[in-house]
Amino acid sequence: MSEVAPILKPPSRSDRYVQLARFVRVFSATEFKLKYGESALGYLWTLAKPLAMFAILYFVFGHVVKIQVGFIDYPIYLLVGIVLWTFFVDATTSTMVSLIVEGSLLRKLRFPRIVIPVSTTMTATLTLLINLVAICVVIALKAIVPHGDWVLLLVLLLELYFVALGVGLILAILYVRFRDMAPIWELTTQLLFYASPIIYPLSILPLWAQRIELLNPVAQLTEDIRRILLYRDSPGAIVTAPDVLGTVGRLYPLGIALALLVGGLLLFRRDEPDLAEMI
Amino acid sequence: MTNGSRHALEVQELWKEFKLPHDQRTTFKEYFLHPLKRMTYERNVALAAVTFSVRQGEFLGVIGPNGSGKSTLLKIMAGIYRPTRGDVRANGRLSPFIELGVGFNFELNARDNIRLNGTLLGLSGRELREKFPEIIEFAELERFVDQKLKNYSSGMQVRLAYSIAIQVPFDILLLDEVLAVGDQSFQEKCFATFERMREEGKTLVFVSHDLDAVTQFCDRALLLENGRVQALGPAEDVVAEYAERALAS
Repeated sequence: MSEVAPILKPPSRSDRYVQLARFVRVFSATEFKLKYGESALGYLWTLAKPLAMFAILYFVFGHVVKIQVGFIDYPIYLLVGIVLWTFFVDATTSTMVSLIVEGSLLRKLRFPRIVIPVSTTMTATLTLLINLVAICVVIALKAIVPHGDWVLLLVLLLELYFVALGVGLILAILYVRFRDMAPIWELTTQLLFYASPIIYPLSILPLWAQRIELLNPVAQLTEDIRRILLYRDSPGAIVTAPDVLGTVGRLYPLGIALALLVGGLLLFRRDEPDLAEMI
Repeated sequence: MTNGSRHALEVQELWKEFKLPHDQRTTFKEYFLHPLKRMTYERNVALAAVTFSVRQGEFLGVIGPNGSGKSTLLKIMAGIYRPTRGDVRANGRLSPFIELGVGFNFELNARDNIRLNGTLLGLSGRELREKFPEIIEFAELERFVDQKLKNYSSGMQVRLAYSIAIQVPFDILLLDEVLAVGDQSFQEKCFATFERMREEGKTLVFVSHDLDAVTQFCDRALLLENGRVQALGPAEDVVAEYAERALAS
């Protein structure tokens, strides 16, 4: 009668990580499916947004205004800029509100809270991947030949992901306290859209403005990606961080990217135990 | 009465205070308009020096009026809230959820919801694939697997939620409000799973307003009032005391 029933072994550390990875995968895939899977055009909508933006901007700035681009690949230049920027805005904006949106989960389940913002950024990443396929199609049509440097593209895309995650985490923590962050961030991203080399080539700006814009890691990595993709066809047309910030200065945007990620993680870790009560 | 004498849960001098700001300031405007006004808080003591323990294999019911701290206590034990002071020690694996159907999405069908909810509760892909037929069969939803959850009756939803939850490995189950769900015949099946939990030496802490359910299933009950333990003892006695107090006030 007084026999003591055995208890379960606690899950091992590696089991826990596997489980968290699964949590992120299932959660982000479900979010993605709910966002697009139900509509008539389905996943095509993920392409519609950047392509529509591209069409109107290309018409206005490529044909009507005729920006002094000075190189032949303006369409790809523009498309790359729009796709990367759209990802940054989507990922940060949806991560900002993710804790509030998933509030009932936070109040009813014990799990590492970081899973929520990470899943939300992964959902945006799925959209980015589909858009990158579109870019690949355009590149293939343009008969641009891949070369060894393209491995660096992966590193730069990782930088983009981590900047978006870092900024998203900071915004998510702020948004729990101040709902004003939503309009503030909307305005900020609109201003940054024009204060980044997305529509126009950086070379049309004075040097001091080029320097400021390239401190933004998203601008830095966008220019780097374009340089790698387009350099052969348009040498010198794309201005990257080392060109204007110097050999030490080129590290500034990378440092800012790292600071955003580490800052976001630290801020999140500080508030994590109390998030269920704060939302 | 119960197996062994080992404690599954030990709650020591547990305090929880919530700071409730007098005006909720969540926009910058409020900061700008009243920059000098100090935030004033009201301290709301949700739990005061709550101490008790639950033996392994015991079913404990937590009862008390609205706002007495029952759910807060459960959330702290589950690790969802952090206590202000005090300590909860668990010997064994705690269930990670305190309600059924966490994360259910009404736009998805049963198949996707089992994957989603099961994953949130910690089941692996392999476990979910293996247990899928069992879950559907237990929930009696074979004909509705590909229907969206929004087309389910509330009884069907809760049957599905229950059937997933009982697949999760745990030693200590913490549940808010629901114990036996669905219609008469499904409730009978729920009772059978409790019996199995008892035999396996599982521990259950169950917060409820359903005093009959507490008397029927729980060995002991804990009566909370204003965050303090008013009574702790055999379920019938504590339920009777609660009923008396309710009449007296």
